[in-house]
Amino acid sequence: MRKTKGRLGILLALSLVLSMILGACGTKSNDSSNASSPKGNASGKEVLNIMETAEIPTMNTFMAQDAVSYNAMNQVFEGLMRLGQDGVTPVLGMAAEKPTVNKDQTVYTFKLRDAKWSNGDPVTANDFVYSWRQAIDPKNSSPYGAYMMGGVIKNASEIAAKKKKPEELGVKAIDDKTLEVTLEHPIGYFESLMTFPLFYPMDQKYIESKGKEYASNSDNMVYNGPFTLTKWNGTGDSWTYEKNPNYWDKDSVKLSQINVNVVKDPGTVINLYDTNKLDWGVLSGEYAAQYKSNPDYKVLSDPSVYYLKFNQERSNQKTALANTDIRKAISMAFDKEAMATTILANGSTAANGLYPKDFLKTPGGEDVRKANGDLVKYNAKEAKALWEKGLKAIGKSKVSLELLSGDTDSAKKMDEYLKGQLEKNLPGLTITLSEPPFKVRLDRDDKQDYDIEFAGWGPDYLDLYTFSNLFLTGGDQNRMSYSDPEYDKLVNDAYSKLGKGVTKDQYFQMQLDAEKILIQKDAAIAPIYQKAIAVLQKSYVKGIVKHPFGPDYSYKWASIQK
Amino acid sequence: MEREYINRCTLFFPTLKLSNFDEFLIFIEGFLGGAVMAKYFVQRVIYMIITLFLIASITFFLMKLMPGTPFNAQGKLSPEQIHIMNEKYGLNDPVPVQYAHYMLNLLKGDLGTSFQLDNRDVSTLIAERIGPSATLGIEALVFGTIVGILLGVLAALKQNTWLDYGSTLIAVIGKSIPSFVFAAVLQLWIGAKLQWLPVAYWNGFSYTILPSIALAMFPIAIAARFMRTEMIDVLSSDYIVLARAKGASAFEIAFKHGFRNALIPLITVMGPLAVGLMTGSLVIENIFSIPGIGNQFVQSITTNDYGVIMGTTLLFAIMLVVIILIVDLLYGVIDPRIRLSGGKK
Amino acid sequence: MIVEEKISADKFQPAHIDAAKGEVIEKPSLSFWQDSWLRVRKNKGAIVSLVLLVLLILMAFVGPHINHYGFNNQDLTKSNLPPRIPGIEKLGIFDGTQNVGGQKVNLYEQKGIKDYYWFGTDSLGRDLFTRVWKGTRISLYIAFLAAAINMVIGVAYGAISGYYGGKVDNVMQRIIEVLSGIPDLVVVILMILILKPGILSITVALSITGWVGMARVVRGQILKLKSQEYVLAAKTLGAKDGKIIFKHLIPNMASVIIINTMFIIPSAIFFESFLSFIGLGLEAPKASLGTLIEDGYKVLRFLPYQMLFPAAILSIIMIAFNLLADGLRDALDPKMRD
Repeated sequence: MRKTKGRLGILLALSLVLSMILGACGTKSNDSSNASSPKGNASGKEVLNIMETAEIPTMNTFMAQDAVSYNAMNQVFEGLMRLGQDGVTPVLGMAAEKPTVNKDQTVYTFKLRDAKWSNGDPVTANDFVYSWRQAIDPKNSSPYGAYMMGGVIKNASEIAAKKKKPEELGVKAIDDKTLEVTLEHPIGYFESLMTFPLFYPMDQKYIESKGKEYASNSDNMVYNGPFTLTKWNGTGDSWTYEKNPNYWDKDSVKLSQINVNVVKDPGTVINLYDTNKLDWGVLSGEYAAQYKSNPDYKVLSDPSVYYLKFNQERSNQKTALANTDIRKAISMAFDKEAMATTILANGSTAANGLYPKDFLKTPGGEDVRKANGDLVKYNAKEAKALWEKGLKAIGKSKVSLELLSGDTDSAKKMDEYLKGQLEKNLPGLTITLSEPPFKVRLDRDDKQDYDIEFAGWGPDYLDLYTFSNLFLTGGDQNRMSYSDPEYDKLVNDAYSKLGKGVTKDQYFQMQLDAEKILIQKDAAIAPIYQKAIAVLQKSYVKGIVKHPFGPDYSYKWASIQK
Repeated sequence: MEREYINRCTLFFPTLKLSNFDEFLIFIEGFLGGAVMAKYFVQRVIYMIITLFLIASITFFLMKLMPGTPFNAQGKLSPEQIHIMNEKYGLNDPVPVQYAHYMLNLLKGDLGTSFQLDNRDVSTLIAERIGPSATLGIEALVFGTIVGILLGVLAALKQNTWLDYGSTLIAVIGKSIPSFVFAAVLQLWIGAKLQWLPVAYWNGFSYTILPSIALAMFPIAIAARFMRTEMIDVLSSDYIVLARAKGASAFEIAFKHGFRNALIPLITVMGPLAVGLMTGSLVIENIFSIPGIGNQFVQSITTNDYGVIMGTTLLFAIMLVVIILIVDLLYGVIDPRIRLSGGKK
Repeated sequence: MIVEEKISADKFQPAHIDAAKGEVIEKPSLSFWQDSWLRVRKNKGAIVSLVLLVLLILMAFVGPHINHYGFNNQDLTKSNLPPRIPGIEKLGIFDGTQNVGGQKVNLYEQKGIKDYYWFGTDSLGRDLFTRVWKGTRISLYIAFLAAAINMVIGVAYGAISGYYGGKVDNVMQRIIEVLSGIPDLVVVILMILILKPGILSITVALSITGWVGMARVVRGQILKLKSQEYVLAAKTLGAKDGKIIFKHLIPNMASVIIINTMFIIPSAIFFESFLSFIGLGLEAPKASLGTLIEDGYKVLRFLPYQMLFPAAILSIIMIAFNLLADGLRDALDPKMRD
């Protein structure tokens, strides 16, 4: 009889011990790795603790296509140029001096400095030739290769279409330290383009020696950037950047170590920040609004713009959105200011045009957005008038439209608000919401299976063309059956004729005029807001630089100052 | 009663000393019982393999029906490029051909590669990330079951007192409020405000405590309710009255007699629950930034990462069928009536 | 002194023993259900919860109409207001104040708002009182649906599987394993293609995935109970299988069935909010307790009232169901009969 009690006791004890053992086994018992040390430890090292919102999918520079990968690559690799401390201006990286350009502005020649990979191999011109060819080679299926190089680097598009061989790409190693790049036509953003991770060099000898193992974890890579990557197992949620002693500009690097952890829950970010485990954290959702008065609160501007796409033809039938007045009416029928300040509440601002502010300046020095002004604003009365005009033209008194949108929290809130506003200000309109997972939404966008879509775009390079090319007739991003030959002409002429009859001033003017056609005349899309990021940053952290395109941040110049 | 006791013991400890013919007979019985068990076991394993095959196949075909491609360069890929990528991964072949390829590779032990995490083997991915999820699940299950059973037994013994109502209240809260609420509250109060335990990450045993507690609330609720109900049923049976008349204490009665009766429905529910807990509670892992498999699984489905979907589905399915087998075998161990009747009419 | 009273013998007559009268039943004959109802009535806890449930159901239908706010009147100027109840606010709680940046501020006064929002407002300025009761309606529907599906399909499946045993049991259990093994998420996403979000899709999704647990539990219990003597007796008397299962075995498992159903209900409610999250459940602006709790959870740290009210109502519903279920079990359980 007593045995049962005893047995139970043993069972209890066993299971507690078992769970403890399992607990210890299943966890990393090294506290030194990613348990963060605030403000540097006793040895005086400066250590920064930051977060990311997702794991690193790849460290292979020509396979990357997401923000986390690019951000990591920016810290541990370096291309010909790198975006500088002001965030926007390209400064010299592997290039020893500014390139020489030929008269046509189609051939750039770079002299490389004496830089080394972390295993001692020198960084040579061939490293660039190798990586660019890998990026364009169809067999590698690089997601950004053809996209970034096509129409820019000579022969890139033909190689991607398998009409020419990768060796014919417009990049050549004149000698170990001299690199020559040939373009299809002059472009105004070449130097900033060279800061993009796709154009980073790769150590061919090392990579071929590693074969399939290359970039499978941080031990199977070599680095030429301000930091090296350590403690990354290829699938994990944490990694570390350590100061690279072989970096050519190592004296500018103040931090000795950066601990990165993936934190997905906004509440957890705050808890970690409050307990000094994080020195920097992103505020999302309601947290952004609630922490506005906190002294550590900062707003970082971002040139991503969000807008409504109006599909003019669905399943081979014209939709109500084919009527311009209806599109204009919808563009003006919702209060964007209120949305940005109350719903997003993280520093995002209402957008009244396609081009973002704080992104580019005209040759005359004026911010592009300011130069073109507000092309469409919230105006309920005018919206209603246009709406009724449009309804009469299509002969209907009621219209039902589907809004295809994302499934994130902020998206859902905005959708509900939009629905409320549109239905209130445009009598006769019914909006149904469709918020499927991202992949499903992409698929439907591809097939043009939607009425209105809540879409957004961030720039890929430092030029207005990255936005204006989206809506060319038949463009991959168009998918709205929107076509305006006047728009096409302006945008295409500007892009292909820059330096061949079109000056820089004219280039900008043509792109700005095109925007006026897109939004004021055609109301092809309805701009909603421009993104901003609200963060908390400890007062002793200085020098983190944010970039408007490509990799988000640079920590090269960051430091901890007590 | 004693006979069945020895029966069970000989099943697992066949080296028991036999001192006379009676015990010899008992031993043979146990042995034969074991032989029957073995036949049943083999039969079940065969069924398991068939089930796994069916799960894999159906999931494969359903997965292929899902919209969207696995390559999501946000529309930056031209149609030709997408075609090339599909060629590379064999996605242009008709679905039955892809299926055959997948199954053949499976037999070789190759689970394919992930699209999301550039060319990492699915098997490596799963192996590296299953650890934390499994650990967390087991801790939560063990802790939850023990606490729950204790609560339930106490509630049954002290029926309709404050202890009973209190335990019922805990059980109801435990299953009505989702675990992420507990997680957030625990993290905020014990992690951030009191700083007794770490807020997040997975660097040692102390990091596992808060998430396990949050995850354990549901098993506590289940265990407590089942134990209490069954115990109340048992406590009103005749043989219990007899045992009490004979002088057995409430505690002894509870654990020696009531316990086993309550176990049947309990382990039926706990089995699949264990699998669910171990295979990653996505939200808890997110809140505590634990590098587990839950997130990979959900993400793989929403991003059409076929290799990872199949790999994790197979893993979960294997765990599920194994646990169900164990539970069914345990039925026989716990309740001799089931074993003796052989599960047949 | 004892006085002996002499009572004459002829005052006594032999008593009439009518054997037939022994067979007469004095109490009126009650059916099984009438008997159980009488016993339920005695259980205070069960009666209280029954009343509570009726009240909640009533509020679910009437509540949204009590005040003049609609459930979808958005007004961004009134977003995220804490609750303010006239009368109770004098006690110092629910008085429209909230901790903002470390100080207690009366947001109603600060924003110059005269209206009273009893449960506060959400981020789009919609009245939570109305939304919570509307949401309760939908959640109650889901709860009953899930319970019904479970009890009908799950119990039947499990009972047949357990009772017949052998090959039938084997095949039926394998089918369950296959169904459990296929990831729910894959099935749900596929359903997005075929079904429009709404009550129908929720119903279908629940029907496909919801009954498996119950089937297994019932099967386990049947395996345990079918070797009892009364089953043997019933069989000997010639009762059909169906009758044995439904009249004898299931009432003995009533407690387990009821408990399991109680567990399914919150899972179903949160499954529905998960569906909404994926884009398949209720479409905005409709809400259920599940979606309200999830939304409220996101701002739990600063605006706890947004989660407090729906969670409290859900808990009350669950407690009431539980006590009621316990009472029913006590009433229906043949063993508990005095």
